[in-house]
Amino acid sequence: MTAQALSLFWPYCIFIIMLVIIGLYCMLVTYNLIRALIGLELLIKAITLFLILAGYISGHPVMTQALVITLIVIEVVVIVVATGVVLNLHRQNQSLDVRKLRTIKD
Amino acid sequence: MLYLFIIVPLFILMFLNLPFRGLKRAAFWLAAALCLFQMFLVLFPDSFFWKLDFAWLDHLFKFDLAIDGLGEIMLFCIGLVVFISVFMGRYINADADEKLNFFSLLLIALAGLNGIVLVKDVFSLYVFIEITSVSSFMLISFYKRREALEATFKYLILSAIATILMLASISLIILISGGTSFSLMHEAIRNSPHDFLGIFAIGMFLSGLFIKAGLVPFHGWLVDAYSSAPSAVSVFLAGIATKAMGIYTLMRVTSAIFGFSIPIGNVLMLIGAVSIIIGALDALAQNDFKRMLAYSSISQMGYIVLGFGCGTALGVAGAVFHLFNHTIFKSLLFVNSAALKIQTGTSRMDKLGGLARKMPLTAVSSLLAGLSTAGIPPLPGFWSKLIIIIALWGSGHYAYAVIAVLASLITLAYIISMQRRVFFGEPAGEMENVKEASPGVILPTLLLTLIVIVSGLFFPFILENFALPAGMIIK
Repeated sequence: MTAQALSLFWPYCIFIIMLVIIGLYCMLVTYNLIRALIGLELLIKAITLFLILAGYISGHPVMTQALVITLIVIEVVVIVVATGVVLNLHRQNQSLDVRKLRTIKD
Repeated sequence: MLYLFIIVPLFILMFLNLPFRGLKRAAFWLAAALCLFQMFLVLFPDSFFWKLDFAWLDHLFKFDLAIDGLGEIMLFCIGLVVFISVFMGRYINADADEKLNFFSLLLIALAGLNGIVLVKDVFSLYVFIEITSVSSFMLISFYKRREALEATFKYLILSAIATILMLASISLIILISGGTSFSLMHEAIRNSPHDFLGIFAIGMFLSGLFIKAGLVPFHGWLVDAYSSAPSAVSVFLAGIATKAMGIYTLMRVTSAIFGFSIPIGNVLMLIGAVSIIIGALDALAQNDFKRMLAYSSISQMGYIVLGFGCGTALGVAGAVFHLFNHTIFKSLLFVNSAALKIQTGTSRMDKLGGLARKMPLTAVSSLLAGLSTAGIPPLPGFWSKLIIIIALWGSGHYAYAVIAVLASLITLAYIISMQRRVFFGEPAGEMENVKEASPGVILPTLLLTLIVIVSGLFFPFILENFALPAGMIIK
């Protein structure tokens, strides 16, 4: 680990932790389905950044770039399916409120 | 050779979706034949396939794959459960396009599950877990029913959080290992001077897997997803999907990356015991057939994790054997729930009653599967639970052994109560005209009942040849 890499480590780490906190806050506070997905995206972005940082620090930036591209593709697939589910929920409930999702009971 | 397990389902998927007439009719036969062929390959390791030599194909697909005893059992279970889902999907879906979409999603899931079992690299593992998850999401919300969509959303959010935890852990390990293959990461964690980093990474990865496996306290999504999914999909989810994504990955990652250690074993046993108790007690209180089965599933997964956490070769063998048995009898119970749902239109147990005379095959098979769940000899569930309990007692975990035995009594209680409310007694008012289920449900029932009986009677053979070798994954 070079000195230059180490000097970059902490600023990036602080930014990643901030992104995680914002993402979690966004998911926990909102009642809106779309906003919950946006919070999820923020969390995944934080992890993506962390993966790149890990590759840079450990000296394998090329490998992590390949991983990150794969990660982005998969994340897009998951989010597309998620928005599809939200769209269908909106068609059935006429609202995007999480509090309406309580039809499953014993 | 092994990459064919992943490539062939994908090629068949592409072939089936070409715009030619007649392909829709071939869809079922191709998908079913593929699953049967996979089972055949595992059962006959000397068959011609393993001796084939495709040098030019090997050159095209450079995958780093491997298979061991545990992997073989998983491949067999995957083939069987996907075959049963495909078979039921053929009879439950009316429309040809719907059938094709259903089979396509199951084929994607098949490729993903085979990938999970075969990979030797943690990032590929993540990719295949996501492939399987996405096809499960789409299968659960296949008919766009309201409850199913709701359950899918819960599953989706929790599953995404689980993958985020797993990816964060992978990134942490990359910091010290510089690569993603199992062996590199194992070396890095063992030789790392930063203990704290390793523990943090292991903790995050295991929590992600607990969410994926639906163990207590992360089980909220599982019950909703199992109970509101279409019948054929419930079989797929309960039979193999969460097991491969959660339990199998847990075993593989713990043994190949983290290296089994006493603290990890203690955490696993604690989570397993809590899952056993809470799952069984919740199952006792349910009124819906499928919800009861889902809670029972959590409880049985607890047994698998408890046996694995014990850490001795016998404990792991018992866990693997119970994994196999649970795949068979829980699939059978979900097939029975499909038969009840289709024939009577409800899965609420207070509305059912006295169906033993109307649906004799369903009643007998569900009784066998239920008693196997509860652990009554000579059914296979008894042998695997016995091995787990002996392993726990032998390694000095007396309290956990007692919990395992007592929870088995609760299991018997809810199974007997279910049988009495659904099948015994006089038929309830609306149940007069109920008939036995159609062949699409009865044939899987017969197949699974046969496997339950055979694996109970010939358990020494399975134990010697499959479970004990698979128990060697912990060095």
